[in-house]
Amino acid sequence: MQGPEIRCDALGKSFGDVAAVDPFDVSFAAGQTTALVGPSGCGKSTVLRMVAGLEAPSGGAVHLGAETPAQAAARGALAMAFQDPSLLPWRTVRANIALGAELARKPAGQVDHLIDLVGLAGFGDHRPAELSGGMRQRTAIARSLISEPEVLLLDEPFGAVDAMTRRRLNFELPPLWRDRGATVLLVTHSVEEAVQLSDRVLVLSPRPARVVADIAVDLDRADTDSAAFRALCQEVYAALEGTT
Amino acid sequence: MTLRGLLWAAALLAIWEAGARAVPGSVLFAGPTDIAAHLAENAGLYLRASVETTRNALWGFVWGNLAAAVLATVMITVPRSERLLGALALLVFCIPLIASGPILRVLYGPGTGPQVMLGALAVYYTTLLALLVGLRAVSQTWTDIMALYGRGRLSTLWYVRARASVPYLFVGLQISAPAAFLGAMVGEFTGAERGLGVLTLRAMRGLDTDATWTLAVLSAGIAMAGYGLLGALARRLAGHAPVILLSAPAGQGRQAWWGPVLGLGSVTLVVLALWQGGMEAFDLNRFFAKRPGDVLAFLGQPDARATLLAALAETLAHALPGYLAGLGLGAALAAGLVLSPGLAQVTLPAAIALRAVPIITTAPLLVLAFGRGVIGTTVVVAVMIFFPTLVACGQGLRQTPGQVVDVFRSYGAGRWRILRGAQLPAMWPAFFASARMAIPAALLAVTTVEWLATGKGIGVLMATTASTSNYNMLWSCVVVLAVVASAAYAAVAAVERAVLRVYASEQVT
Repeated sequence: MQGPEIRCDALGKSFGDVAAVDPFDVSFAAGQTTALVGPSGCGKSTVLRMVAGLEAPSGGAVHLGAETPAQAAARGALAMAFQDPSLLPWRTVRANIALGAELARKPAGQVDHLIDLVGLAGFGDHRPAELSGGMRQRTAIARSLISEPEVLLLDEPFGAVDAMTRRRLNFELPPLWRDRGATVLLVTHSVEEAVQLSDRVLVLSPRPARVVADIAVDLDRADTDSAAFRALCQEVYAALEGTT
Repeated sequence: MTLRGLLWAAALLAIWEAGARAVPGSVLFAGPTDIAAHLAENAGLYLRASVETTRNALWGFVWGNLAAAVLATVMITVPRSERLLGALALLVFCIPLIASGPILRVLYGPGTGPQVMLGALAVYYTTLLALLVGLRAVSQTWTDIMALYGRGRLSTLWYVRARASVPYLFVGLQISAPAAFLGAMVGEFTGAERGLGVLTLRAMRGLDTDATWTLAVLSAGIAMAGYGLLGALARRLAGHAPVILLSAPAGQGRQAWWGPVLGLGSVTLVVLALWQGGMEAFDLNRFFAKRPGDVLAFLGQPDARATLLAALAETLAHALPGYLAGLGLGAALAAGLVLSPGLAQVTLPAAIALRAVPIITTAPLLVLAFGRGVIGTTVVVAVMIFFPTLVACGQGLRQTPGQVVDVFRSYGAGRWRILRGAQLPAMWPAFFASARMAIPAALLAVTTVEWLATGKGIGVLMATTASTSNYNMLWSCVVVLAVVASAAYAAVAAVERAVLRVYASEQVT
């Protein structure tokens, strides 16, 4: 299975008179992970929501391969992790993760493997109210992975995760979706995370969002102490500073 | 019940008994021993009547809540239907039970149909509102997640809303239990063969103090037992009960002036069509099943109109002071209890329990005590509204965000300052929700007392026209009461929106 190419054609969004995203053309290569970084409120999440089909664009269109977002959603080929974990309080961790497969009409065979992977071993039968904020978010991440999506959209998914776990997840999760060839869009506030997790970093301007820098990442991901890693981070920081 | 609760109960019983003995031969008071003796003497009679009324209430409870569940599901899954269905449900709720009772009696003939139907009518609206709050208590992210997997409204209903609404459903069911009992009793007032309501009428007419007290205690006891049973069930099955302010169903945002007018027009048209169409479809006899045209023609006669309006004026003159007194005292006591938290710990549980007593069943006692005039009527109306208002306002006050109170405290603000600055604003949504829901309650109370005791006003007009077969007058009374209640409801809702726009903009969607 290979994720589709994501193509945005003259994609733009305005709320009333306020332009949130200036019309732009960009494509995200099949099977690649792209990070979107930019100042708060610049419209990153709006781009993600338009790709997911949750927000209708004011102009232009999104194509996931030959499909519209709605068509891909109907096949269960999409998944998204939100800033707010949104778990069902009456379901256990295991059942909350399995929900991703149920909704996508796919088998939920690897729930236990995912529970281990996101570091929730032993918590499978707990309910969300018994978990910390970070553990809930990890449950939500696992829910987004269980349906083996072709397109994975991550909106600040590590926000509430503690620094130690976040570092570990940054190493262990990307191989999971990379091996399956999923096309991934990641919105994050952390420049280091963007560089570490993705093949490409797009730096967006303040609202209305425009692409101000398009930086390819070609690194040994395991080595976040290398000079090359730091140089790329610096490049992203410089582009960000240029936007303000 | 705790030991302390038992001691309190024993003390109250002792005071009651002592009070009753202090005025021997009184036509006002019957003490616990009088009641026990009377009950023992007529055990068979009261047992049969209790079973009858409870069975009617139970069926009303089942049908009313079922109707609420179906309505709520349709309104949530077909949002387009929400406004119309919400308005229709409200309109039906606004018709006082004592007004629909005689009509149902005429349509059904003898039997338990009207009692059950009135029980259902008494419960469906509160459950509907509670369910709607519960079904809507779902964050935007959940609709997003469903869309993301290509799922629609039915999946959201199945996976998220249905289960999320369970605690709210139980709150609705709990309030329903005494309400269904009240509905069944009102149904029995309007001409049944058996039941506690029938015995109550007989006891009142015969000025039988022991029987009146026994019946009031018995019916209050059964209703409270139902309330307690469902409360216990809810705690077992649904965990903690959410606090529900029974907010108005349809969110009314900013809209042009013609929006409400158009809405009102279409609702009126639908009601008239259902009324006329339903009667034609079931081929109901024109002699007692009056059509909209009949009512209009009847109201065109100056004599009839004058009689009706005079009775209405009298009824409203009794209802309004009671309504205002009940609301005002309930809110004032709730605010007062915030200033003395120790007192609140004793009072609020008692108020919550007393809220469950269907006041109508104790109305005969209040009338015994306060007379068959203006004061007696006003007291019944006020008491009917007082307890729900006290409980709702108390809950509203406790909803004040702790951090806001902390901010006031950190500036050394006193209790009064905190009450005015932080807690009263938090109380307004609950207060207005009570004020709206109290309108049908007030009309029910006033018409019931008129029917049972005072012999004045529109309640009596309906009673006499039902027995003299003046069905044009009966239908006209119902229409006029429904219009008055709806107009009052709309007026309070308008004030509510204006106030909440300032104090609680998040409540005004």
